[in-house]
Amino acid sequence: MKEYLSHKKGLPVYFPKNNPYFLFGWFSILTLFFCFNATAKGYSVNKNIKFSTPKAKFRPMIINTKDIEVSGLITNAKGEPLAGVSVKIKDGKQGTSTDTEGKYSISVPDNSMLVFSFIGYVTQEVIVNDKIKIDIQLVENAGLLGDVVVSALGINRSSKSIAYSIQKVTGEVLNVVPQTNFMNSLSGKAAGVTISSNASGIGGSVKVLIRGNKSATGSNQPLYVIDGIPLINNPSEVTPSTFEGRDGGDGISNLNPDDIESMSILKGASAAALYGSAAANGVILINTKKGKVGISKVNFSSSYIADKVAYKPQLQDSYGQSSVGSEFSWGKATTTATDNITDFFKTGNTLVNAISFATGAEKAQTYISYSNTTGSGVLENNSLSRHNFNIHETARFLNNKLSIDVNANYIQQTLNNSPNLGYLNNITRLYLFPRGLDFNQYKNPTIYDPIRKMMTQNWFLPPSSSGAMNPYWVNNFVQNKSDRNRTMLKIAAKYNITNSLSFQLRGNVDKINDKNTSNWYAGGPIVRAGLNGQYGVNNLTNTLYYGDAMLNYTKFFGKIHVNTILGASINDSRNNGTGISSNALYIPNIFTIQNMDLASPNTNSYSVSEEHSQLQAAFGAISVSFNDWLFLDVTGRNDWSSNLSYTPNGSYFYPSAGISTILNKALKLPEVVSLARLRGSYAVVGNSVPIYVTNPQNYIGRGGGVIFNNTAPFADLNPEKTKSLELGSELGFFHNQISIDFTYYKTKSTNQFFSILVPPGTGYSRRFINAGNIENSGVELTMGYSPLAKGALKWSTLINFSTNKNVVKSLAEGTNEFVLAQDNNNYYSILKIGGSYGDIYGYNLQNDSASGKVKLSADSVPLVKTGAPSFLGNPNPKFQLGWSNSFSYKDFTFSFLVDGKFGGEVLSKTEMLLDNYGVSKATGNARDNGGVAINGILPNGASVSKVDAYKWYYSNTSNKVNGEYMYDATVIRIREASISYSLPSKMLKNGFIKNLRLSLIGRNLAYLYKPAPYDPEIAYSIGNGFSGVDVMNLPALRSVGVNLNITF
Amino acid sequence: MKNNKFYFKNRILLALLLSLVVFNSCTKKFEEFNTDSNGVSNTQLIPDNNNIGGFYPELQYSIVPNNPSGANSLQGVLGEYHISCPFAGYLTEAYPEESPGNSYNFTGWDNYGLWGIGYNAVMAPVNNLKTLGTPASSPDFWAIALILQVAEMHKITDIYGPVPFSKYGLGGTTVSYDNQQSIYTAFFDELDTAVNNLKKYIASFPGSNPFKKFDVVYAGDYSKWLKYANSLRLRLAMHIVKIDPATAKQQALKAIDPANGGVFTSNADNATSKGGFNLLWSSSKQWVTIRAGAAIVSYMDSYNDPRISEYFEKSSFDPTKYIGLKQGYVQSGYLDLLKFSDISEKFAQSTPATMMTVSEVNFLLAEGALRGWNMGGTPQMFYEAGIQNSLDQWGVGGAAITYINNSISKPNNYVDPLQPLNNSPTLSTITIKWDDAAAKEENLERIITQKWIANFPDGTESWTNFRRTGYPKLFPVTASRNNSGGTISTDIQIRRSPYPVSEYTNNAAEVAKAIIILGGPDNGGTRVWWDVNGPNF
Repeated sequence: MKEYLSHKKGLPVYFPKNNPYFLFGWFSILTLFFCFNATAKGYSVNKNIKFSTPKAKFRPMIINTKDIEVSGLITNAKGEPLAGVSVKIKDGKQGTSTDTEGKYSISVPDNSMLVFSFIGYVTQEVIVNDKIKIDIQLVENAGLLGDVVVSALGINRSSKSIAYSIQKVTGEVLNVVPQTNFMNSLSGKAAGVTISSNASGIGGSVKVLIRGNKSATGSNQPLYVIDGIPLINNPSEVTPSTFEGRDGGDGISNLNPDDIESMSILKGASAAALYGSAAANGVILINTKKGKVGISKVNFSSSYIADKVAYKPQLQDSYGQSSVGSEFSWGKATTTATDNITDFFKTGNTLVNAISFATGAEKAQTYISYSNTTGSGVLENNSLSRHNFNIHETARFLNNKLSIDVNANYIQQTLNNSPNLGYLNNITRLYLFPRGLDFNQYKNPTIYDPIRKMMTQNWFLPPSSSGAMNPYWVNNFVQNKSDRNRTMLKIAAKYNITNSLSFQLRGNVDKINDKNTSNWYAGGPIVRAGLNGQYGVNNLTNTLYYGDAMLNYTKFFGKIHVNTILGASINDSRNNGTGISSNALYIPNIFTIQNMDLASPNTNSYSVSEEHSQLQAAFGAISVSFNDWLFLDVTGRNDWSSNLSYTPNGSYFYPSAGISTILNKALKLPEVVSLARLRGSYAVVGNSVPIYVTNPQNYIGRGGGVIFNNTAPFADLNPEKTKSLELGSELGFFHNQISIDFTYYKTKSTNQFFSILVPPGTGYSRRFINAGNIENSGVELTMGYSPLAKGALKWSTLINFSTNKNVVKSLAEGTNEFVLAQDNNNYYSILKIGGSYGDIYGYNLQNDSASGKVKLSADSVPLVKTGAPSFLGNPNPKFQLGWSNSFSYKDFTFSFLVDGKFGGEVLSKTEMLLDNYGVSKATGNARDNGGVAINGILPNGASVSKVDAYKWYYSNTSNKVNGEYMYDATVIRIREASISYSLPSKMLKNGFIKNLRLSLIGRNLAYLYKPAPYDPEIAYSIGNGFSGVDVMNLPALRSVGVNLNITF
Repeated sequence: MKNNKFYFKNRILLALLLSLVVFNSCTKKFEEFNTDSNGVSNTQLIPDNNNIGGFYPELQYSIVPNNPSGANSLQGVLGEYHISCPFAGYLTEAYPEESPGNSYNFTGWDNYGLWGIGYNAVMAPVNNLKTLGTPASSPDFWAIALILQVAEMHKITDIYGPVPFSKYGLGGTTVSYDNQQSIYTAFFDELDTAVNNLKKYIASFPGSNPFKKFDVVYAGDYSKWLKYANSLRLRLAMHIVKIDPATAKQQALKAIDPANGGVFTSNADNATSKGGFNLLWSSSKQWVTIRAGAAIVSYMDSYNDPRISEYFEKSSFDPTKYIGLKQGYVQSGYLDLLKFSDISEKFAQSTPATMMTVSEVNFLLAEGALRGWNMGGTPQMFYEAGIQNSLDQWGVGGAAITYINNSISKPNNYVDPLQPLNNSPTLSTITIKWDDAAAKEENLERIITQKWIANFPDGTESWTNFRRTGYPKLFPVTASRNNSGGTISTDIQIRRSPYPVSEYTNNAAEVAKAIIILGGPDNGGTRVWWDVNGPNF
């Protein structure tokens, strides 16, 4: 190795024999397992050295050496001063190091050579030659390698050696416009990634979909990996039906986005091959901040964001309540209709304050941060508060051979009154409130009940009605609270045994404790709140233990470099908890377990006792590179999953292979081509099945009877396999001013694990099968243009384009379709051969086969198709486009992001309800026009061009003719915009404040095109079913705010 | 240095070996991990025969769904009280919905019949008991399972027509349907087995009571289970009287044969499941989505029936009157709908669910006797006993004599206090007092009408009787509210339920064959096998 390096021509780097810093740097390079390429970049180092020679024109001709005083400032690439940098005379003993401000001064012979060395940085040497001031910018080792990404298992690799698509997003980019769930910030910034957020307001979950849905019944969300270790991201969302659901946020949203250094998105299965099952849907690798050697800084950031609802439903103002006490607005003309909605939604506020301290000495580096998030939603009493504490310590021992990395996180989060999903939420009765009826009389939601001597609900519908939900009552007297305490503790130790061999051990505990309570006060709908109120409480603990051991061997054989990894990991997940809920309370509005009638069938208790899953794995990887332009990767992994016990296939193996070449190094290409890289990979990822499916058991019900489990045991299953092929190229032109990254991929998910409903006459109502083939294919294109700055104005732009086509190729033998999800209102999500994932099925109106006209009954009621439901649409976009721009002029930066999702159809149950109740603008207009203009036909063949509005809307909506409520899901929006101003560095020079930036930020600022009545990105559920459905979803939010960032 | 290297190499080797050992031993616990500690295995249930008997409480609670575990609540509420009861004129949905019970519109409701309960909550555990070897190991327990299976599955086939039965439980992803005649034949065979097993057990182990712990109906009294089996046989015999009179008569005689243990003779024999969660109460008091039917209130009110206050509350239109809501009413607001008579407060959450009563048996015997079969008495005798037993059952037996002798009162017209469009003239002039001189047809109406009043709230059985005999005469839905698209006749009313949509999505090929067996389109206008379009005599 040393020989190899020394023979490189013109290498301006000096390698002392016994320099421990050098040795360490050398090791760390090896562990990055790519070819060391100092040649190309070596020259550029010189650009970073600034000299000043004495101004005197006269230079004395002195032959004898004479000591002169040399001083200077050592900084990193960002201009931050580095403390503790060693400054020595070459081959001499004399030396010093930089102080905390990165300054040094040394007295040396005039003609000597100074060596600047520092851990993690490329050593530089400079001949003094009369210079009295030598400022040096040291280049990080990693910086030499071009773009570095963190790949599987937390290993840093040069992006050029990776055979699959990997997209890196820096922490800065994510934090331009802070979010309570920072994953929302990824929208439009990464090709092939679709983000949709849950309709549950502040603190809600997000659905991240990479390259389309692959699994029919498993999670389609990616695996989150923090510093090489998997994270729990169990969704807390519960959406059993469109009637009612809840979401308490997901695991990823708990993190402090300010702690994120960068995020790498590994989209294909190849990337995931080493992570195993959970990674089949892609991996999001999060690299957190650490202290850096020689840099000591304090960073404070504060942002305030105000949210407002982006749209409101279109209501009619002309027709009143059907009759006194009626829920409907099909009545006579009214003039008293008012806007009840605008006042109801508040302005939401989010305040995030974060402070971090980072410092680093040679042997130990520290990063400490604290952040505090407080927010209130647009609904009264919906609030979130979160505290994040983080300590990250890195230290080296035993002559730098042993490095230990410890990271501890503690998160405390409280989410209050996250709104219900579905019909039983705050806004249903707000929207449906009879037009013309005075809403003001219900703004105080309580009224005294002299008989019961208590406050009860003030509303026009009685508690017996499921519509007994005064929206203000719901805000105040339907309460829920989720308290989360989460601890993450990680320790990694790495020992360099020899120059080419290292051993690493890592362990992690991620423990989440959730306490959830819900209180429905007496006076709410009896079916939920009972007569005396409802109380529910549960306490759940979810723990993930992760451990791995890895042996890494790396060596050069002439022009060939080989790196091998051998390892094993264990992933042990446990869920524990108990819960009880009851609406049989003895005394009204006392929310304690003691107040529950435990014998009542309306009291439900449950326990999750030690739900224990374990995945063990052994893996190996070998990477070979030739002459720094040809790279070959092969991996293999074998999993043993406890969820597969009771079957003969408890273990499964899957391999991956990839190749990548840098053409501009291998061949002579025209000057304009600055980069031409081709890559291709093929991978298989296996997937396990959910817990207990191989071993369904019966349960004891209340009363002591045994309840037979209608699920068939799955004794002959095979693990799911996703096979993925990916081809891509990266091109750079004109010194990389123009960059193009193109990827084509195709994945086949076979042996799919399906939980299917079978006719109950078969003996079971649900069974599991392995079958089918779901294919996803698509292209991703990222194009960037960053012209070289001419003058003060700089501009860079980036376009992300992606498209995904999903086809269900086959299902189980003899089966053409499976129902993924359904509700009792004619919504079906069906997986059908030839169809694609997420297809929405339902009913349409009957059309006359001859004329195509809508068939009506004799009294002009539209007829609905019967029998099997028919295809209505698919909510997934045909393609997505994101366009980001950044302009900077002197100290100002302006950036904006426009993105669009094109194609797809979504279903709005909200519109259906508005029509049903006669409150929608459409029903008002139809009544104004004397009916709905249609092209209909009566049973006797007579044509009808207009039907009564009530007949038309009431029949279509109460018959749940979903086909009438499908909308184009295309949406183009200004996603983000920000203007920031940084105090000029001149003004801050040597001051206490090193950097200060103030930004004005905005999010979801305008819809440029949105034909649907709601934002199709807001999902009723982040699960597999119910996507693309609006069931009284909270409107999307429009946000503006300010952000202040100060570095001391 | 060399030593050092060796040392490290060995350490790594050791670590690798260690991890291999760890792997080999760790997977041994996998089966334990993958076993839900909240579940119970058959082995764990062996003590006290729970591995067999443990399934019986939920089974019994599923016949008229009132499971204390909360299982089947929604399907039970909707299947029994929102679908069957409106078709029987007992109850009307007080809910402004285009549902089957209100307007013959099954769209979106297809999956809410009793289908799921029949297969998942009854057929499945019974099949499991069979797999566990119950027929051989515990023939007495097996007898009860068969009785319960017949009690449930006859409702399912009566509602839908051809359904899966003989090929039940073969696994796979599809199942074929049987014609209804063969299913009835199988029911009679199963009852034979049940009766023989119980007779044998009682003779061999007199006084033995092994089922007591699991019995929520008869506290383990096998002689009563025998009577229930025979009473069920009598009910089924009468269902097929028009399509197969010979078998009907033969089975009816077998049912009452004292050698087989006889049928119900007193209210103490009634089959009721105790300790459950009454879903009629739930429909009325928790869901608040049902009200008294116009038909039953009109009959009972005009007859001055003492049971009316046991069944219903007075209305809030006029607190002195019982006013029912007509099936297929023209739209009113929900608040207005709630003003119609509610279910009586006497139906509580813990009120036992009635599966079959002695009064129904009396009326079945009366009909048999009217048909000239030797039932051991005259039609009048059985008819009057039926009324007496029913009134006794509801605690108003003192009024029986007056009631039985009422020869004047005839059913009232129906007047909707809000919506004149819903008004209906009475369709019947039937009186209570037995009239030997009257035509057989009139006396059949008399018997079925009284049986209907007595059978409340067993909507499924009463809907079957209505379809079989045309009695009682029920108000049709308001014509404009017949939203069946012309498939269901407003006059002769609904004849069956269409198959659940889930069968179309999951078992499509077999449903297509079933429709051929059914012999008509899969809608509410097609008659099932025993529903013969012809005279009663």
